[in-house]
Amino acid sequence: MSDGYEVLSLDDLDRLKSTDGELTLLPLRRTIGFQPFGVNAWLGASAGDQVIERHREQGGDEELYVVVRGRATFTLGEETFDAPPGTLVHAPPGTLRESIAADDDTVVLAVGATPGKAFRPSPWEDFYVAFAHRAAGRVEEARALVADTLARNPGTWQGPLNAACFEALEGNADAAFEQLRTAYDRAPAIIAKHAPEDGDLARLHSDPRWQELFG
Amino acid sequence: MTHLHVDELERIELDDGFEWRPIRRAFDIRAFGANAYAPGASGRVVEEHSESALGHEEIYLVLRGRARFTVDGNDHDLGPGQLVFVRDPALRRGAVALTDDTIVLALGGKPGAPHEPSAWEAMFAAVPAGREGRWDDAIRMHEEALEEHPGSAPLLYNLACMESRGGRPLDALLHLTDAVAQDPKWADYAAKDPDFDPIRAEQGFPA
Repeated sequence: MSDGYEVLSLDDLDRLKSTDGELTLLPLRRTIGFQPFGVNAWLGASAGDQVIERHREQGGDEELYVVVRGRATFTLGEETFDAPPGTLVHAPPGTLRESIAADDDTVVLAVGATPGKAFRPSPWEDFYVAFAHRAAGRVEEARALVADTLARNPGTWQGPLNAACFEALEGNADAAFEQLRTAYDRAPAIIAKHAPEDGDLARLHSDPRWQELFG
Repeated sequence: MTHLHVDELERIELDDGFEWRPIRRAFDIRAFGANAYAPGASGRVVEEHSESALGHEEIYLVLRGRARFTVDGNDHDLGPGQLVFVRDPALRRGAVALTDDTIVLALGGKPGAPHEPSAWEAMFAAVPAGREGRWDDAIRMHEEALEEHPGSAPLLYNLACMESRGGRPLDALLHLTDAVAQDPKWADYAAKDPDFDPIRAEQGFPA
């Protein structure tokens, strides 16, 4: 095999749990270094597991979901439907979407990008991996990845918000508030709306600095 | 339309004997390339080709069945959930199905550039119309694609083919001339292409 291509199985990929344990990411794009658009897989190990979180894509991404194996129940906007293997689901920008595993070992591929824009890998992938490392006890490796991701994505509010969550979970309130203030300065309305709803930041709520920021 | 099964997609048997099932066109996806392929008469499931012209990185994921991929001269037998990622657009790649029910998902795009739907999709989509002699439909599909890809030499050449077969010799000559003006190779192709038999004797035929 040459450097110009590689062969792998989705089962070769890491299985990374989200912080709340609800989601399992198989980080395809990051693993192979695919650059043209976003492509990852999500696993529902058991029937009833969340495969694709309930969300709307921010920033104009359109997405295609492909049921690779197992079976899923998809909700797209107002519609809920059964999705056996081979089902293709197209979610235009802004559409509410969610997927729940109907069978054990359900794998859904998610492909996405913004029409008319050159793709740039989103920092959420690196933060997701960093949080998974942290959950697995690899805290210093996780912290280094957070720092590296912040350095590669200067000027965003998402970066410091994620860093604040990381430090809050680690019990470092000073560092968490420093990052949270940076995020707030960059996007006060967004942070004022989302920070109070973010469970990762819950342990900061009793700190007087929280009241200073959010009243 | 928001969801389809891969077996509900349009099935277009291409001349190389494999079946193209257009995903991007079905949903009018604008942000990335996505298609499915199934074996046709030849057993091939991915055309042997490179992506040098488009500069695409490509992922080929086996959704169902089994396929033998040949990439850069190396064979790999893959089953469901296994994939080939071809980073280097210059590498030749292709696949033959090892089971009749094989489906391969192909995802591709050019790094660092907004996605542009490939001109070849319109040419492939027009194949059934051409095969059935519905020349007006085939011509219209090419004209619509040219609005999205102005001046595309492959589209102009194929449009000229349809016009030649469809009894529009003047339009065929004009569009073939436009293609040749961009790249003389189209004259070489036209010299051997039976689509141009109806106009080969016309004055100004560029081959």
